[in-house]
Amino acid sequence: MSSSAENPKWPLPRLGSLEPLQPDLAPAGRPLRVPRPTRRLLNFAGPCLGLLLVVGLFSLSPTVRPYFLTGANFKIILTQTVIVATGTLGMTLVIISGGIDLSVGSVVALASVVGALALSHGTSPWLAVGLSLAVGVLIGLLNGAVIGGLGMMPFIVTLGMMGIARGLAKWLSGNQTIDTANSPLNALMDLRDPTRLFPLPTGVWLLLGLAVVMAVVMRRTVFGRYIFAIGSNEAAARLCGIRVQWQKVVIYTVAGLFFGLAGLMQLSRLTQGDPTVAIGLELDVIAAVVIGGASLNGGVGSIFGSLIGALTMAVLRNGSNQMGWPTYMQEIIIGTVIIIAVGLDKLRQRRR
Amino acid sequence: MSALLQRLAPGWLCLALTLGSLGAAQSYTVAVIPKGTTHEFWQSIHAGAVKAQREFAGKGIPVEVIWKGPLREDDRDQQIQVVENFMARHVSAIVLAPLDEQALVRPVHYATEASVPVVIMDSALKSSDYVSFVATDNYKGGQLAGEEMVKLLGGRGNVILLRYAVGSASTEAREAGFLDTLKKYPAIHVLSSDQHAGATRELAYQTSQNLLNRFGHEVNGVFCPSEPTTIAMTKALRDFGLAGGKVKMIGFDAGSQSVVDLQHGDVQALVVQNPLRMGYLAVTTAVEHLQGQKVERRIDTGVWVVTAQNMNQPEIHELLYPPLAEYLK
Repeated sequence: MSSSAENPKWPLPRLGSLEPLQPDLAPAGRPLRVPRPTRRLLNFAGPCLGLLLVVGLFSLSPTVRPYFLTGANFKIILTQTVIVATGTLGMTLVIISGGIDLSVGSVVALASVVGALALSHGTSPWLAVGLSLAVGVLIGLLNGAVIGGLGMMPFIVTLGMMGIARGLAKWLSGNQTIDTANSPLNALMDLRDPTRLFPLPTGVWLLLGLAVVMAVVMRRTVFGRYIFAIGSNEAAARLCGIRVQWQKVVIYTVAGLFFGLAGLMQLSRLTQGDPTVAIGLELDVIAAVVIGGASLNGGVGSIFGSLIGALTMAVLRNGSNQMGWPTYMQEIIIGTVIIIAVGLDKLRQRRR
Repeated sequence: MSALLQRLAPGWLCLALTLGSLGAAQSYTVAVIPKGTTHEFWQSIHAGAVKAQREFAGKGIPVEVIWKGPLREDDRDQQIQVVENFMARHVSAIVLAPLDEQALVRPVHYATEASVPVVIMDSALKSSDYVSFVATDNYKGGQLAGEEMVKLLGGRGNVILLRYAVGSASTEAREAGFLDTLKKYPAIHVLSSDQHAGATRELAYQTSQNLLNRFGHEVNGVFCPSEPTTIAMTKALRDFGLAGGKVKMIGFDAGSQSVVDLQHGDVQALVVQNPLRMGYLAVTTAVEHLQGQKVERRIDTGVWVVTAQNMNQPEIHELLYPPLAEYLK
């Protein structure tokens, strides 16, 4: 941070924002930018610092450390992160584009119920997978169409969808959990050997693979850059010829796909479709994205940061459990961490 | 790195044990995982766990009880996480009240595999990977409620059953016991038995109001299979001017509000378990298993019908007013 330039008058475009849309407005001749690699390092280090801090915190306790810092425990933490992290893959897109999606938890429940229903009717597991994902895509498409097409507030539209999807899940399932005890899909989130780090559950690998794909999409593809452009300045993006409405439909649809996938993972983890599962998950997902350095104003954020954010929260939960801290302490701590993480991020931006 | 630490772990453990017990036989850490932490029922379980801990301490056996509920009261995924996290911490044993009979099967299986024995309490699990199942006979509790209802209504009338939450085995057994008993009496008509209140008092209150709005003019008796639903339904009965015996109300569990309602005549009967004894026996069973003793596979902790007539008998009185302060302060 010491290497930052002397106070530029204008907020500089952060890494990842679409640079042509924000021309450098500082007086000519001044060295303006923090060197790109340094900025990249800062953006990378910010969320990681939080994670390391949290890991360090729990490693201080001599009674917990021998169990906390083990491969077996990190396998558990990773497995517990997968559902929230899969959600963040979609939510990061939405938040960078300046939107929000509150329907995550409900879509997860709905997708898990649909998958479980398909399995309980004896369909092939692949069809169940397809149906779960299709549900996510469909809800995302509806969200996107209303938000993009009618220009309605994402908060309101997805708030409505949160209720609709939850209701559908309860309706389809007849208010019952649908057991899928013998489904091959359960292997997706199976810990297998709980005493060692490897083999990791398939779901963890799947998440890592998709995260890499999405990180590349966000950085290297036109679609990805458009998302940043829309989030940075929607009007400017429109004037530049980006079909903003259409892009929004795509953004929410892709996000829906990931929420459907998260639902599938939830189905595998509970070994049942549960219409009441994941209530409030949307807040965990949003918190993870924000801890990961994204701004709810849009235009800023990264897939990597969001994953670290999700991991940070899982570590906090895991550590608090193992320390035997009461539940209310855990909630207070997680709340505090969210505020501190975002506060630090603000500070970092101002300094730069 | 982690492998190294893993190898060091037994060293740490030994050190802790020698320091902790100073030559005593063995020390144990038992994680007790309830379904939630705010209801009085779970506080009684907690008190029972502490009672067991004190008794063992009196015998020179140090037992540490870690009391830890899921972050959100009725979230199965959160409870799975708590089980996994204690498994990773290698506590000596886990005492678990599963939020769901199916969803918790796999985490319990892996805990057992990682040589952390699990005692199930309160609610059943669809598995055999546990040491013992310490619980009320909930079906019998429902039957008792059904018989009491028949008695109160004189064998004829319209009844509402307000269900608790989806997938909770203990309350579903009570609901089944209640409905099965009523089936034997053709003059008793069940108006509604398909509404789930949800786990919180607020949700239960709303559902109760809605049900009474719909059926209030024809209902004669209500059964609620859990503490939050009982309190909420009684409140709603008062709102609608149906309390005080106009509608016969049978509840479950001895929450302090329900006991007051019983005294005032707004609740006609409570089916009461003994959660303090349940928490006590669950922890005791876990420790006895760790000590290598043979334990019963199924331990029944009893169920009673409490009415205004018998509520002052000493043995019933203790069920209604569990000595929580003695253990939880």
